[in-house]
Amino acid sequence: MTKFLLTRLRQSLITLILVSIVVFAGIRALPGDPALALAGEERSPEALAAIREAYGLNDNIVVQYGRFVGHALTGDLGTSSRTGLPVSEAIGQALPVTLELAALSLLLAVVVGIGAGVLAAVRRGKPEEWLANAVALVGLSIPTFWLGIVLVLGFAIAVPVFAASGYVPFGTDPLDNLRRMVLPSIVLGSGLAAVVMRQTRGAMLDSLSADYVRTARAKGLSRRAVVGGHALRNSLVTVVTVLGLQLGHLISGAVVTEQIFVLPGFGKLTIDAVFTRDYATLQAVVLCTSAAYILINLLVDVVYSVIDPRIRLGGAR
Amino acid sequence: MAVALVSLVSGCTSLQSSATEVGGVRKTDERPVRDGGTLTVALNSDPDKLDPSLAQTLVGRTVFAGMCEKLYDIDENGTLVPQLATSLPEVSADGLTVTLPVRQGAKFSDGTPLDAAAVVTSLLRHRDLPGSARATELGPVEKAVAVGSSTVRITLDHPYVPLTGVLADRAGMVMSPTALKKYGKDFTNHPSCVGAFRFVERVGGDRIVLEKDPNYYDAAKIHLDKVVYKPIADGNVRLANLRSGDVQIGDQMGPVDVQSSLTEPKLQLFNSPSLGYQGIGVNVGNVNGLGEKPGKIDTPLASDVRVREAFDLAIDRDLLNTVVFQGMYEPACGPISPQSGIAPGVDPEDCPKRDVAKAKKLLKEAGVKLPVKIELKTSTTPEQGRVGQVLQAMVKEAGFELSLLPTEYATMISETDEGDYDVFTSGWSGRLDPDGNVSNFLKTAGAMNAYGIGDPDIDRLIDEGRSVSDPARRTEIYDELTRRVQGDHSMIYLYRQKNYVVASKDVAGIRVYGDGLVRVTNAGYIR
Repeated sequence: MTKFLLTRLRQSLITLILVSIVVFAGIRALPGDPALALAGEERSPEALAAIREAYGLNDNIVVQYGRFVGHALTGDLGTSSRTGLPVSEAIGQALPVTLELAALSLLLAVVVGIGAGVLAAVRRGKPEEWLANAVALVGLSIPTFWLGIVLVLGFAIAVPVFAASGYVPFGTDPLDNLRRMVLPSIVLGSGLAAVVMRQTRGAMLDSLSADYVRTARAKGLSRRAVVGGHALRNSLVTVVTVLGLQLGHLISGAVVTEQIFVLPGFGKLTIDAVFTRDYATLQAVVLCTSAAYILINLLVDVVYSVIDPRIRLGGAR
Repeated sequence: MAVALVSLVSGCTSLQSSATEVGGVRKTDERPVRDGGTLTVALNSDPDKLDPSLAQTLVGRTVFAGMCEKLYDIDENGTLVPQLATSLPEVSADGLTVTLPVRQGAKFSDGTPLDAAAVVTSLLRHRDLPGSARATELGPVEKAVAVGSSTVRITLDHPYVPLTGVLADRAGMVMSPTALKKYGKDFTNHPSCVGAFRFVERVGGDRIVLEKDPNYYDAAKIHLDKVVYKPIADGNVRLANLRSGDVQIGDQMGPVDVQSSLTEPKLQLFNSPSLGYQGIGVNVGNVNGLGEKPGKIDTPLASDVRVREAFDLAIDRDLLNTVVFQGMYEPACGPISPQSGIAPGVDPEDCPKRDVAKAKKLLKEAGVKLPVKIELKTSTTPEQGRVGQVLQAMVKEAGFELSLLPTEYATMISETDEGDYDVFTSGWSGRLDPDGNVSNFLKTAGAMNAYGIGDPDIDRLIDEGRSVSDPARRTEIYDELTRRVQGDHSMIYLYRQKNYVVASKDVAGIRVYGDGLVRVTNAGYIR
């Protein structure tokens, strides 16, 4: 297991270095002079020159990259050229918001998606399956932005049970935190729940018709033990794969959800940084997002090996 | 035909009636308020640095209005009034020495006293700090010295009448010298000024929190405990938050959102005319980039004023306003707002009317090949896209083929500064003194003259406008300047935005003046 982990960690590190180069060069390939974006309306030649000097924009890209990596290794991700706030502080404030949003959405997706998927498979051809399929189709089809606005109109304005926007840390006020996070989590998690439901249903149908399930039934195991202990456990490898892939979409989907619900998370930070050509913030958030993707993939590999030990053995060879 | 089509598509009649419901100008609400409470203001973007020397954004100015007072301010009518100064400045006969009396007894939020030396420290920092956005505005200031504790004497290198207007904006904000010394470049994260509220915290992209400052000289008149500014970029989301009560004030609301808010009984609307302008800039001589001497551009539009006049005459400003902005902005045809308290510009009613027959005649006289092909660069906002489409339909009737090139904002600015364009949508948020709307844009090699205008008459009028102190004479000068610019059709002014602010009816004491800022100093929840 240790060797397996070390191999995967080494691969992840190389990927991260390559990603940092691509991110750094890619951001600088964006059209538009960042000094102009920073100068706003009053863009006198003197102000532009001072901005370029202050942010090292006159240096060549290799020097800028070297400086970025050097500072990043010491934990200094730079200063936002727009707000003057330290980028690491901004990320430190945004990260818990997006992580909580992603975790709650994932929880919703897993509970609803796996539950509905199992139900649809077990009750194949019955109204429950039709209902689950219909809900999944709706979940996949509704645009995030529209669903967000509708939920706000329904549950924050007409029946003000939840808040329309804003974030309060869980540690400060748990109830207020949930009041603000439920609607965004539903918006972000609904699409994923639909995907999980369909994958679970498909995998469960395969498992339920497999020989080992027939054997288990023949041995007189209870329905609950056959479905939960045998069919579902084997179906989970497929579901975990999908969850791993979809987690990336969850983080990118958070961009829109955070805009609708004014959540100060990673997505909002990214959008603001793009539009203001805030290089320091942009490259830091993209790099952190990439690192998160890599970490998630690593975790998925580890989970695979726990669910199915044959994968671990294969990786160790 | 095209205009009729545009009218039909947009449902002209209903739009007109909607606009009427907005009502006239409404800048204040003076209902009595109670003490206490937190007010949340939704801004349309996150402010930039909270450092008056470096700040660039309009939303930043709104936050400063709560915590950083200026030497001068404007009142409801756009007239300059003292704020941290005690009276308007005394200017010597030669216009080179300006004396400012400074308010006594005021304290910064860090508890240190405001005096003339502090004003001098701030003025010189605004002028000299590398990257200062105030450096150009205070460029003519040669020297500033404190005379005792309550008087500041400024020496100018040439007469500069716009100075008082400049000191009614960020260049007139006075920062605590103690905080400047303590925090240096990090002042932006610990701003300390004289203001009704003092800075508490900023969470980037989420909120800026201010609290009532007990050190404020007029603290007894301040009702709110806290003000929270939240950036909410999307107008729909700002409106949803107003309706849910999560925010109490929505700044810079667009016409569509304003119309929606009118159906909400618990919301109220404020609006004031803007000091800025929006229009179409024509590249008539920008061949070498911004700040360089104009050159020759060999296109019909750049080389022949008759073609530009024809283009201008093909535009119906009233219809553009009705179709794109539901009649909620104002048609414009000059750089200076008629609302300017210093030298009022042209009234919308006096703007030239559309005359397609004359436009066609001018193109015929110019002998150009029809259709005249022009590329219009616009930013990528939906509003600018609609402006482009309506203009496209209008000028087509006169013989122009206008193609649209939506371009990301920073890229568009970069390209237009370099002269890489035919025409582009050009706008300015406006300044109190008319000079702020003309000198950088219209003067030969001006800092923001992306059009490549190089006209000695315009240069002369700009210089005269800056040095003459008599208001009547200044108005005459700017009238003449406007006529000259109108006659050249290099910058075709189209409309002026209005400052629309939607607020909860539970809140009073808000002020929305022509500078576009939301002032909440005297705001509170109604009794």
